[in-house]
Amino acid sequence: MRRVFLFVLIPVAVACAMPEASVTAQTQVAAQTPVAAAPAPQSVPAGKVILPNKAGSIKFAVIGDTGTGDKHQLAVAKQLAATRSQFPFEFVIMVGDNIYGGNSSKDFENKFSTPYKPLLDGGIKFYAALGNHDDPSERFYKPFNMNGERYYSFKPADGVRFYALDSTYMDDKQLKWFEDQLKMSGSEWKIAFFHHPPYSSGETHGSDETLRTQLEPLFVKYGINVVLTGHEHFYERIKPQKGIAYFITGSSAKLREGNIKPADFEAAGFDTGYTFMVVEIIGDDMYYQAMTDGGKTVDSGSVHRVGKVEPTPNRTAQPIVPTTGNGKKLPPAGDRK
Amino acid sequence: MKVIRSIGALALLCATGAAPALAQQAAPKPPKPQISETTKQKAAEENANPDALVLADFQKRVDAYLAIHKEAAKDAPALKETNDPAQIKHAQESLGAKIRAARANAKQGDIMTPEIRNKFRRLMYPVVQGPSAQGTSGSAKAVKADVKDELKENSEERKEEGGKPVVLKVNATYPPDTPLPSTPPQVLMNLPKLPEQLEYRIVGKNLIIRDIDANIIVDFVPNAIQ
Repeated sequence: MRRVFLFVLIPVAVACAMPEASVTAQTQVAAQTPVAAAPAPQSVPAGKVILPNKAGSIKFAVIGDTGTGDKHQLAVAKQLAATRSQFPFEFVIMVGDNIYGGNSSKDFENKFSTPYKPLLDGGIKFYAALGNHDDPSERFYKPFNMNGERYYSFKPADGVRFYALDSTYMDDKQLKWFEDQLKMSGSEWKIAFFHHPPYSSGETHGSDETLRTQLEPLFVKYGINVVLTGHEHFYERIKPQKGIAYFITGSSAKLREGNIKPADFEAAGFDTGYTFMVVEIIGDDMYYQAMTDGGKTVDSGSVHRVGKVEPTPNRTAQPIVPTTGNGKKLPPAGDRK
Repeated sequence: MKVIRSIGALALLCATGAAPALAQQAAPKPPKPQISETTKQKAAEENANPDALVLADFQKRVDAYLAIHKEAAKDAPALKETNDPAQIKHAQESLGAKIRAARANAKQGDIMTPEIRNKFRRLMYPVVQGPSAQGTSGSAKAVKADVKDELKENSEERKEEGGKPVVLKVNATYPPDTPLPSTPPQVLMNLPKLPEQLEYRIVGKNLIIRDIDANIIVDFVPNAIQ
């Protein structure tokens, strides 16, 4: 009964939060079919991928704050490669701080090409965004697939477009480029990725409100569905904000234990281990699973995008509904081990 | 015994009571404006804001540097995508050498003149040390804490990674094995925008302007954070 109530309530709440959303969108929200609940993280055997793993779907991984070259990066990289053996993702999104410290040839080797060698050898493409610790000249490093640009977009497959932004230098020129790109976009999934999180429960950094002020209006106006970020050295999933799903994956090599502080907008968080994400898009559903370097699942679920709405100048919110299988807030940081 | 207790209590009271006052004393005062007589005179003649003239002068000097950069880039190997990071370094070094030759007599203060340095310290003060933040949407306290954390993180990374010390010298190469410290976005928001070939980085307490494509220090503000 409670589930039914929630199922009715959530779409209504989302619809209320989008007062200017089209009637069509609201109807679609109400008419959506629920996504099957994912098993609770604790019940997933270590290393097991619980995504649908459907042939022909769009599969990718997300890592962030990786470039240390230390044992933690190597452990995550190893688990990532092991995960691919059962979930054949085709590319990896890097949300910044790709090369910490120096950036000599040796650094690129120790902090990128060696840890991810099995994936690179397997033809997996990496798409990087610049973090605050990155040298912008990394954009010329071909394996990062940045086309020599600080910000760029790419379409790895029909049905999805990614936008890599440089959140350290969010100037007018970049914002205009971003808006122009969004104006030209079609009805595909729109996923932005960059370094600094507009929403974060991190005690060290927290939400980058300046960036949020700059980007959120564009996200909403042009229908960005998902935002992937790092910077905070933990994993966090934010409750959808204005219809947009936000994820932080900044612990793929660095970790700030116990750094998540209580925040109303946190849906799930994990700050006691090193993590990465695997993601699958099937039609209007995006399934995600966050795993540790030991293969433990710490979060999973899906978001459902309702309708394939073309961007229009008058649309101020987009139809996206969270359907998290286990979207319970995790226990306090100290109790999560 | 009572006397000792009273003295102890008094000392504790003084210590706790004085702590906020001491902390307040420890906080650096905002830098006072230092506008040159020439700028003051020009501002008076043109009925202009002296600070605006200082920033316009900065822009003019940056533009002049950029002209040198662009001229040097014509003869340098183009920065292009490569699988070999050494080629990126090589292109940077070649461009750096040409820029160095073109401005062989460049010295500290050519771009960051004393009044521009002072203006930069004043622009940075509110978000780094001042009692209130400007140009950000976060609360003053949160912004300052975030900036402080980021600067601390830079310092920790520097210790962890090692690398050569950064020589604060115009035209010097930024050591490639040394971490590039980040510059908090809140600080960047308060500083004049740079062309895409250049960037600000905070090295210790100093602010440098770095040529990204040539990996050289263009000029710097010593003790930008006091």
